Amino acid sequence: MWNGFFGLLKKDFRLMLSGRFFVLALGSLVLYSCYINFVYVKLDQEIYPVYLYDPQETQSVISESVTKVESREALEAACADRYSVGIDLSAGKPELYLLSSGLETADHYRMIWGEAVLKGTAKGKAEVIGLHNKEMKNRREITAEFLFFELSAVGFLGLASMLFKEKQMGVIRVHGILPVRRSVFIFSKLLLLLASDLLFTVLLTGVNLGFLAALEVLPAVLLQAGILSLIMTLTGFLCAVRLPDFRQFSLFYLVLAVFVTTPVFLAGQTGIAWKWIFYHPVYHLFRAMKSAYFSMSTTSVPYYLFCFGGIVLLFLSACRTLKLEMAKEG
Amino acid sequence: MIKVKDLTFSYGKDKQALHGLTFSVQDGEIFGFLGPNGSGKSTTQKILTGILKGHGGSVSLFGEDVRNAHTQAFFQKIGVLFEFPYLYADLSALDNLHYFASFYPQNRRRDALELLDELEFKKDYLKKPVSSCSKGMRQRVSMARALINNPQLLFLDEPTSGLDPAGAVLFRKIIEKERKKGTTVFLTTHNMFDADLLCDRVAFISNGKIAALDTPGNLKEKNSNHSIIIDYLYQGRRKEQKIEASELKEGIPFAYDELITVHSQEPTLEDMFIQYTGRGLS
Repeated sequence: MWNGFFGLLKKDFRLMLSGRFFVLALGSLVLYSCYINFVYVKLDQEIYPVYLYDPQETQSVISESVTKVESREALEAACADRYSVGIDLSAGKPELYLLSSGLETADHYRMIWGEAVLKGTAKGKAEVIGLHNKEMKNRREITAEFLFFELSAVGFLGLASMLFKEKQMGVIRVHGILPVRRSVFIFSKLLLLLASDLLFTVLLTGVNLGFLAALEVLPAVLLQAGILSLIMTLTGFLCAVRLPDFRQFSLFYLVLAVFVTTPVFLAGQTGIAWKWIFYHPVYHLFRAMKSAYFSMSTTSVPYYLFCFGGIVLLFLSACRTLKLEMAKEG
Repeated sequence: MIKVKDLTFSYGKDKQALHGLTFSVQDGEIFGFLGPNGSGKSTTQKILTGILKGHGGSVSLFGEDVRNAHTQAFFQKIGVLFEFPYLYADLSALDNLHYFASFYPQNRRRDALELLDELEFKKDYLKKPVSSCSKGMRQRVSMARALINNPQLLFLDEPTSGLDPAGAVLFRKIIEKERKKGTTVFLTTHNMFDADLLCDRVAFISNGKIAALDTPGNLKEKNSNHSIIIDYLYQGRRKEQKIEASELKEGIPFAYDELITVHSQEPTLEDMFIQYTGRGLS
């Protein structure tokens, strides 16, 4: 049996090589790392500009963050960008003027900022405690997101292209009459993709977080990456074997990206608050990955039980689907 | 080697593919399973090779019920040639064979190079990807794959399809050689010529039922009208006459100067198939 298993491993590795799987993964690693190091870590949100209309000169001391305007019209024009905050003191009492940005949370922060600037309680910069400075926060955040994207989307496609190749060649059927268990056929692919995903995780984390920080988070990150890798590989396996051609698979992939991954990214990254997202299984995987990068233990026993159950269920479905594929006509 | 009794199989509620097949295959026999597309040949072969489960009736292979027989040990003893050459296109012929051979224990494996040589595989293509080979060459690699484990029971599905006449002759020689070694061969085909030349017995299958089962010779003889057509020259004119075979006992029963051809009117296996099933094979 082990001879057959190593034969399968060797063959799958060769298929991955010929399918440029590792070149793609390396390309992704370079691209993500360049973006993180040269673009993302330098990104910062510009502070909300504050405009003050104070015809009665009630404010004797004005913060450096405030720009004075001469009329109500000028105040309204300055705030037309839906980003700036206006303060109108013409009636003696401060009245905040701002056009909604469309995000309730952001508008709320703008109001707090405007009031703080007027009262003179706003400090220029927050105090940094420990190693979690803004740059490190950005690095952890975007590395988690890229890893999640790579494992859930790119790895999924890589496996599918490999399987479609085997399907087209008809060799899957030959394995139905070989003295090897069907589960071993799936297991060898799982093992190789898991190993390659874990290696990708180590490299991406190491390159972008630095050696020490990576060492600190890697055990938790590898666990989450392993779970995600197994789930996505098995889902990819099921879809690739079940769907008749790559065109249908691409369509399915589009649906998956639009309806499954996008809401998760939106809920996780923006101020959009959906209550139903809690029932979205992928959202929990995404949250667990981010938590792992921030060394926070937000995951619980039910989460791991669901993951384990899901993997077992997907594996059994994959075995059944493979059996049906082997019995198909030539 | 194979015993099948009242075999039934259904793909769905109204899709009964097999309606109670009964036959047996002896050790070392070449058994032909003949029928047109959709007649149930492939379904039967898939049940025998363990790819398809859920059949009715009883099937035993190597003296064991098929429901328990499909173990690793069973798959080590069989070889299957599919109708199409299913191979890894990016790998060479040798790499393909080494890969498939790796599933079998060392003592069962045949030498891949020797096998390919026996199958007259072009040496220049040994290390080239299979995708660069012709269909005939790929079929040779496929045959080598089916034989790599020295099987005791060989399932062949349209073995000569896609081969040129020389290739077909070679394949028939290889099958004959396997028989001499004692290998049992289950041949699924709609090529009557192959069946007639190779098979010890044939079964005609149509619409999931066996319409006839016997040796090719008996099937033809039973339905022969025992007549002979003789083409001859007499007094400078070419003539043709039909006589009964028994009339030949006393010699040619008419005057002639020169015999040109003598044709027995024995029916072909295809004629027999049409007679038994009411339909052709293609």
